[in-house]
Amino acid sequence: MPTSSRDLRLDFFRGLALIFIFIDHIPENLFGYFTIQAVQLFDAAEIFIFISGYTAALVYGRILATQGPLFGAARILGRAWQLYVAHVFLFVLFTAEVSYTVATFNNPMYNDEMGVADFLEQPHVAIVKALLLEFQPTFLAILPLYIILLVVFPPVLLGLQLRPMLMLFPSCLLYVVVQITNLSVPAYPEGQVWFFNPLAWQFLFILGATLGLPRRRDWRPRQRTVLPLALIIVATGFVIKFSWIIHGIWDPFPALLLKELWPISKGNLSPIRLISFFAMVAVVAALVPSGAAFLRSPVARPIVLCGQQSLEIFCLGILLSALGHFVLSEYDSAIGIQVLVNLAGILAMCLTARMLDWYKTMGRMPVPHSAANRSGPGNPLGS
Amino acid sequence: MRWGVPSFVPSRPALLAAEFAAAILLALPQAVGGALPCDVPDELMQVDDKLPHLAERLRAGQPVRIVAIGGASTTGLAAGSSDLAYPHRLQEILARWYPSSSITVVNRGVPRQTAQQMLERFPTDVIPEDPVLVIWETGTTDAVRGVGVDDFAASLQSGIDELKAHGIDIMLVDMQFSHSTATVIDFEQYLNALHRVGDVNDLNVFPRFEMMRYWSEQNVFNFDGVAKDERAGLAAKVYECIAGKLAEAIRVALR
Repeated sequence: MPTSSRDLRLDFFRGLALIFIFIDHIPENLFGYFTIQAVQLFDAAEIFIFISGYTAALVYGRILATQGPLFGAARILGRAWQLYVAHVFLFVLFTAEVSYTVATFNNPMYNDEMGVADFLEQPHVAIVKALLLEFQPTFLAILPLYIILLVVFPPVLLGLQLRPMLMLFPSCLLYVVVQITNLSVPAYPEGQVWFFNPLAWQFLFILGATLGLPRRRDWRPRQRTVLPLALIIVATGFVIKFSWIIHGIWDPFPALLLKELWPISKGNLSPIRLISFFAMVAVVAALVPSGAAFLRSPVARPIVLCGQQSLEIFCLGILLSALGHFVLSEYDSAIGIQVLVNLAGILAMCLTARMLDWYKTMGRMPVPHSAANRSGPGNPLGS
Repeated sequence: MRWGVPSFVPSRPALLAAEFAAAILLALPQAVGGALPCDVPDELMQVDDKLPHLAERLRAGQPVRIVAIGGASTTGLAAGSSDLAYPHRLQEILARWYPSSSITVVNRGVPRQTAQQMLERFPTDVIPEDPVLVIWETGTTDAVRGVGVDDFAASLQSGIDELKAHGIDIMLVDMQFSHSTATVIDFEQYLNALHRVGDVNDLNVFPRFEMMRYWSEQNVFNFDGVAKDERAGLAAKVYECIAGKLAEAIRVALR
């Protein structure tokens, strides 16, 4: 429900993150050089989880205040259920693709190595593990994280509204414990752990939620002190990451601090990622006011719509990545084809978002002749 | 965690150009009888770093033990017997080239293990063998299972640190390429991580993936339409080519 009070920055940057996720999930993709992970030490996953936490607090905080905690909690869990169903749907599609490929495969040199057979050998175990969110094939790891974060969100949100420190302190403590002890959540098959460690990523989600609480909507970094520091961090991150990328293409170019910094843990949300991400948040919040004209421009509109229909567009993006990967490796990976595959995918995402927006807006329209039948406020941010 | 093209692996455009040239050359003598068409572009045979401990042993004519640790493609089951696997082939070639040292290549392949699981085998399977060189082939299972790329890199780093602490030379071998698996598994980020670990530690990474991709694109080895009983023979040929290229890379690194 795009009203004038709505902060379109959330939609825009979440839409952008979804497009980046689509691009970054296509291996050997030229467009990957133009997403956030090529120029910063974090990637689109942080943007997605942070904005999801922010909008969750914003939307459900409002429902909690107006319709009571019980209904608020029910709405949050309803959303988690929706995500769960979407995840299972994606899992089935992926398993179909992989099983088909593996089963029609006649190359003995890889048969023993294709552990997708983990699924094919023990489907009865694997499918239960998938339903328990313990089996997370590549690319299917972010929704389980989001689901878990939402399931525990009702008490977290209540606590945040009571007193933010009540939630922030234990959340931060848990994050620090993970960084020190490497504590993780076991997954399937044996020895695996959750790709996105929820014990670490909860901190980012809750930080986002704290900033998104309705009464704190006008939060802005104190520009004089925070902004210069944030700019320095963002610039440093840019120089470091960009030097790595150039080094990867042209060996003689030095990769700055590569030995010291790399690998930067994504699963455990390394502090380096967290700090450089929040520096970027501070810079963007300062430089892009929520009423910025470009957010309402026709150019930004498709991206804003993608961000508003985030769940559907996320799922579509993941499927399109797999399809794009398939097309590029099966047929041709020439530059022209790569450009085409990326543009076609982005176009499909934007058109789908436009269609969903139309469909949902029509659904919310008051039905003539029966004013009593007017539907409720719906899900205002589609978070 | 994308990293662009690993330093040891030439960029795709460069490779495509090389392939184009090779295609023209290959167009003429398609039927070179007998000899294995193992050739790869020069870019794939750039070896920068040295194997000092191995060189010392060979110079002194002392016995050499090499441990090949890895997955299914190290065990060589696809070819039918471990004598046809790349480690044994490598031993034969090196023994021919360096007759004054007795050379043993120990096969420590176990299918379907992540880098971390292989690392856990070091104390029992690798260190007690007292090798002077360890060839570590890894990454496939990590990519198939979707292990965190940074965890994969961290396991590699621990393994390298352990081997270096024992004064053992190291060569890393990346994944196998196959057309069909490449359409469903994202190997790229694991390849990049493996090559970057090699880069950070000044190690040679043997670019098996790009070599096999090159052979696949050249139609040198193609499993499509090959009868079941002939597939093992074809696999043995691929292992032989890999062993040959690996031996060449070792020879260059000894110079």
